[in-house]
Amino acid sequence: MPLIEVQDVSKLYGFGDATTLALDEVSINIEKGEFVAIMGPSGCGKSTLLNLIGLLDRPSHGNYRFDGKPATRIRANKAAKIRRDTIGFIFQSFNLLPRLTTLDNVALPLTYKGMSQKRRTKLASQMLERVGIQSREYFLPSQLSGGQAQCAAIARALVNNPKLIIADEPTGNLDSASSLLVMELLADIHKMGNTILFVTHNPELTRYATRVLYMHDGSIVHDEKTALGRVASTARKVLLTPQIDNEEHDLARVSAIMKGVPDKQTQPRKRKKAVSKKSSPGHKKKTSNKKAKSS
Amino acid sequence: MSRLLLKGQLKAGYESVRSAKLRSFWTMLGIIIGVASVITIVGIGEGVKHQITGQIQNSGKDLITVRPAQLKPSGGSTDSADLLTGIGITAPISKKDVETVAKTRGVDASAPLAVLTGQAKSDVATYSDGFIIGTTSEFPGLVNQSVGYGSFISEDDAGANVAVLGVDAADKLFDENVPLGRTFNYMGQDFIVRGIFNSFNSTPINQEANFNKAIFIPEDVAATLSKNAAPIYEILAKPADASKTAEVADRIDRNLAASHGGQSQLLVSEGTQNINNSDSIVGLLTRLIAGVAAISLIVGGIGIMNVMLVSVAERTREIGIRKAVGATNRQILEQFLVESTVLSLIGGIIGIILAYLIALFLRLGTSLTPVISWQVVLIATGVSLLVGIIFGSVPALKAARRDPIDALRAE
Repeated sequence: MPLIEVQDVSKLYGFGDATTLALDEVSINIEKGEFVAIMGPSGCGKSTLLNLIGLLDRPSHGNYRFDGKPATRIRANKAAKIRRDTIGFIFQSFNLLPRLTTLDNVALPLTYKGMSQKRRTKLASQMLERVGIQSREYFLPSQLSGGQAQCAAIARALVNNPKLIIADEPTGNLDSASSLLVMELLADIHKMGNTILFVTHNPELTRYATRVLYMHDGSIVHDEKTALGRVASTARKVLLTPQIDNEEHDLARVSAIMKGVPDKQTQPRKRKKAVSKKSSPGHKKKTSNKKAKSS
Repeated sequence: MSRLLLKGQLKAGYESVRSAKLRSFWTMLGIIIGVASVITIVGIGEGVKHQITGQIQNSGKDLITVRPAQLKPSGGSTDSADLLTGIGITAPISKKDVETVAKTRGVDASAPLAVLTGQAKSDVATYSDGFIIGTTSEFPGLVNQSVGYGSFISEDDAGANVAVLGVDAADKLFDENVPLGRTFNYMGQDFIVRGIFNSFNSTPINQEANFNKAIFIPEDVAATLSKNAAPIYEILAKPADASKTAEVADRIDRNLAASHGGQSQLLVSEGTQNINNSDSIVGLLTRLIAGVAAISLIVGGIGIMNVMLVSVAERTREIGIRKAVGATNRQILEQFLVESTVLSLIGGIIGIILAYLIALFLRLGTSLTPVISWQVVLIATGVSLLVGIIFGSVPALKAARRDPIDALRAE
């Protein structure tokens, strides 16, 4: 019985004309013990798929079974309990609570389980030892390096002994040395029999995976099993050969760029500039537009 | 299981309040002021009540007073003439009335209080702060007051120029505490000081009848001095049997009415009535002001709600993370509810401490003696808890209902 059974799952965002199709009838089964890498351009639906599998979100259409039990129309509280007991999350930006110590951060899932302070501190401490940063127990996340923070996040994901670990670009914010450390750690965890699902943009990292999924525009376009320690063949293509030049592809890239433009990190900065510098071209454009409209 | 969790959340809530000390303080300020002012006002009200009750109890619950009633033209429209001239006409108490009261069946003792004003002069000072009160030998027994030095006017002193002083009057007039045997001059007559009263319990709201500042002389001397024009302020009477006070008061009322041809313009009241009257007035005032002060508690609650809403918005990402690692909506709700409740409870406790400090300063600096009862403290604690829960629930619900994905995406 597969751990994850996704059948014809679609996910729509927005209403009416503004509707976007984030997932388009995706079907996939993932067995226990697999180490799955998901690749694809931004906006292709990788994160949406991870959110659905991780029970953070619900599909618009289709069926999803997690661990043999239907999980399509599950109540928020039930989903929270399944997340707490069987799923561990690792995020690109670590997502440690800034005001808690590393130890308390790792113990957080156990807190919600209602475990006593003594037991959860012990378990969290063991887990920190396992990821190799036990000496940083009483540090705040802001006092940790990126690699250490991600290790703490991994410890938090592991502390409830989950059946599935979901990592959304776990190495996205790390330098190559720290990336290596984090991936080796995940590989270790995989060797212990855990199922791991991770998103990456780096084809090199498919070395660690046993299976690679390629997504594009909300669909899984390629599904490839690979041997551990080898870069997946399709991924190598992405890495080495320039993509085929045709008109359709160009348009797709343009649309991808357009999607990338209203990025949350860049937009507020632009706005600030426009406000602070009255003579900025953006501001001028706006006023001239208004003038044009009024005339 | 949930008990463990609550304990953890209480700790987390306290930590969160502590980590943002300054902001927490400003948030709590509304509750602190509200709780402190409500407790202080109720405490002052209770204190005044105690003082009045104490004084009346001291002078005797079975004391009956006869006072002139305010005259009102019967049937006429509301007296605009009175309002214009400002003249309050009171019916005078006559000597005959005094006799009527004294002769009423069941009255054990009675004494008139005739009030004169003017200056008393001794060889060291001139005194005009208090009244000169003409009364009889029954007076100390009626008000349950003992004479500290010397003795009170006796029946044999009728017509004699002797006087008994209140403590303040003695001090002011002779500049010494026990001026026994010394003399002072009043209206051209020399008076010998026969005795000095022990200090009367005075109340701040009853300055006009401050016996500590009064000079007591025999009633008939007062009458002679004023050529029978000294107004009798009131008649005090005591029944032989304290349990029949109401009955005797009633009988006095009827006798007075009979002697006035069926229409008495005198008001007969009992000591307990006085307690009840003043109690209800003070109680009403206390409740009124406490009600106004309670509004500041609501304002404080709104302050907590605003800060919690800001806090929820600031910590959207934290909510997302907590939900991702498995916090249920209820656990998030509890977290924020506990935080707002801890905030307002700490505010309430600081408010109670502040109220005790204010009460202490009032006792030291003024004649007010606020009484803070444990019931009021308990209610204040309960109310601040309630304020925290009620005004914390809106932000907490908002936090609990956040979609985890949106929350995780938030900056």
